[in-house]
Amino acid sequence: MKATITFALAVAGAVLISTQQAGAHHSFAAEFDANSPIDLTGTVTKVEWANPHTFFYIDVSESTGKVDNWALELGSPNGLMRRGWTRNSMKIGDTVTVAGWRAKDGSLKGNARSVTLPGGEKLFAGSSNDAANEKTD
Amino acid sequence: MMKTAGFVAVAQALLLATLSASAQSRKGQESHDPPAPTPRFADGTVDLGGNGIWDQSWITDFGKQLVGIKEIPFLPWTKAMYDYNAATKVAYDPQGFCLPPGGPRMFGTPYPSQLIQDRDRKRIIVIFEGGAHVWREIYLDGRKLPDRESVNPTYFGYSVGHWDGDTLVVETTGFNEKTWLNFNGTMHTDQLKTTERITRPNRDTLHYEAVIDDPGAYAAPWTVAWDIKWLPDAELAEYICQENNQFLLDLKDDFGNRFFEDVPVEQLPASHSH
Repeated sequence: MKATITFALAVAGAVLISTQQAGAHHSFAAEFDANSPIDLTGTVTKVEWANPHTFFYIDVSESTGKVDNWALELGSPNGLMRRGWTRNSMKIGDTVTVAGWRAKDGSLKGNARSVTLPGGEKLFAGSSNDAANEKTD
Repeated sequence: MMKTAGFVAVAQALLLATLSASAQSRKGQESHDPPAPTPRFADGTVDLGGNGIWDQSWITDFGKQLVGIKEIPFLPWTKAMYDYNAATKVAYDPQGFCLPPGGPRMFGTPYPSQLIQDRDRKRIIVIFEGGAHVWREIYLDGRKLPDRESVNPTYFGYSVGHWDGDTLVVETTGFNEKTWLNFNGTMHTDQLKTTERITRPNRDTLHYEAVIDDPGAYAAPWTVAWDIKWLPDAELAEYICQENNQFLLDLKDDFGNRFFEDVPVEQLPASHSH
């Protein structure tokens, strides 16, 4: 039984360690603020499944009734696929919840760390912030 | 006992979730067994390939990878540039512009690679998924390393290699000055010469070491090293960095002006005008 636990944790660790490569194209700190976390739920309006970073856009309703369209950055398509995504994981009209960090300039832009899909599945985004921290820790 | 059983259930759920969420290509890392031995060709030469890819890590700070010394032997100007690049959050890293990671940085940039040994033609081709969809060629046919003034300066330079026992030794010269040595803004000049030593101590590990010799930028040669993990049963994929590089649309210079907006053609640097 103990072997099973060790085995499971070893596998989990191996997978976490070997999936760093999604988002290392540019400086995170030049564009985003690691001290400005965001947690957004909204409706997907566009998905750009493209290099070097996939972008998606969501409409988020504010309490005032105003609707903001946020641009959110993910890792590269290759990196995302190695983390279990497909280009159809997120579709226009889906309601998704995004955790990540906001752009330093305060615009409606963010770097996504994870996305929770309508079915409840949570996919990690290969954020360049995570990748840097994984390496320097 | 209940608690232990619960933990096992959680661990098993974690295992299943992790396995299902990961690509099928990650099979093979589940084993507890010691890594398989170094693969070799029939004549004993180390095989740097196989059915898989080298899963490169992100080496963001060469200062943490030093061998034999504690600090990078900067000259004043490279130290000043290093500090400036830190202060500007490495925003002007050429790789952010989708330019290739020349020199040792290629093996420390987190996209996978393959080393293809073309033994008939006595050369090794390194295919790198990231950067700008680039490759390197290393000649093992006994030719001499050319004088750097005689070769066209390029991102990856001109490489000749030989086997020293089980160590692939690669000398490279003829670099251009359009790359940073490392993500954190470690600069170099076209006097750069690198000597890389690559070994495969077991199937799952590539040990990479590089001597950086650049009298135009550093007071003495210095060495960095790290390991790269083998990812069996995985394949390289197409990656065209330039297709939607939105980073550049938002990139601003030190004065808050957009990098690529409202600049009359006649004010562009000469290298951009043709």
